[in-house]
Amino acid sequence: MSIQSHLLLMAVFALFVALVGGVLLKDTARQQARAGGEILGGLMAGAIILGWVLYVFPL
Amino acid sequence: MAARSTVKRSTRAAPAKPLWLVYLLGWLVPGGGHLWLGRTTKGIVFLVALPAMFVIGLALEGRLFPFAPSEPLVALAAVADVASGLPYLIANTLGFGVGRAVALTYDYGNAFLITAGLLNALVIVDAHDIASGRK
Repeated sequence: MSIQSHLLLMAVFALFVALVGGVLLKDTARQQARAGGEILGGLMAGAIILGWVLYVFPL
Repeated sequence: MAARSTVKRSTRAAPAKPLWLVYLLGWLVPGGGHLWLGRTTKGIVFLVALPAMFVIGLALEGRLFPFAPSEPLVALAAVADVASGLPYLIANTLGFGVGRAVALTYDYGNAFLITAGLLNALVIVDAHDIASGRK
């Protein structure tokens, strides 16, 4: 596959996990959207923050 | 107290559908357990999203790991891959998922493949809860 953007691949991954996680955890569409958004935001923000921490303190 | 126990007993009534069939269907077809139990919307979401994740993982040149007892982490990854069910069986039979370790997207491919299987395992647990009257 020609997609080689790390950020895009991470976003696609987070989107799928958020979709399945949100639908799995909650029962109404509104709650599912909220839970999915929280999972998506958490994964994206966590990865970006961790990326910057590793930039400063490389392993 | 008596009323409470009656309510508890009625919510945990004998499952109408055999659990082993829910597990088997849920494993073979991601979301199949939910579809069979009448949770159509959830089932369709799982039926689309999980195989899509699996296919993306293969397209990113991820690897379907073999069972290697001498390497526990590889064996765990293999178990996660198998949890994807029919997509795994088809890909394995057709010779997909060889993986190319030097590919830039190899690790992403593995992440997609393994996560698709693990999420399907969670979906099967959810189907179990529904079938046994806990949800």
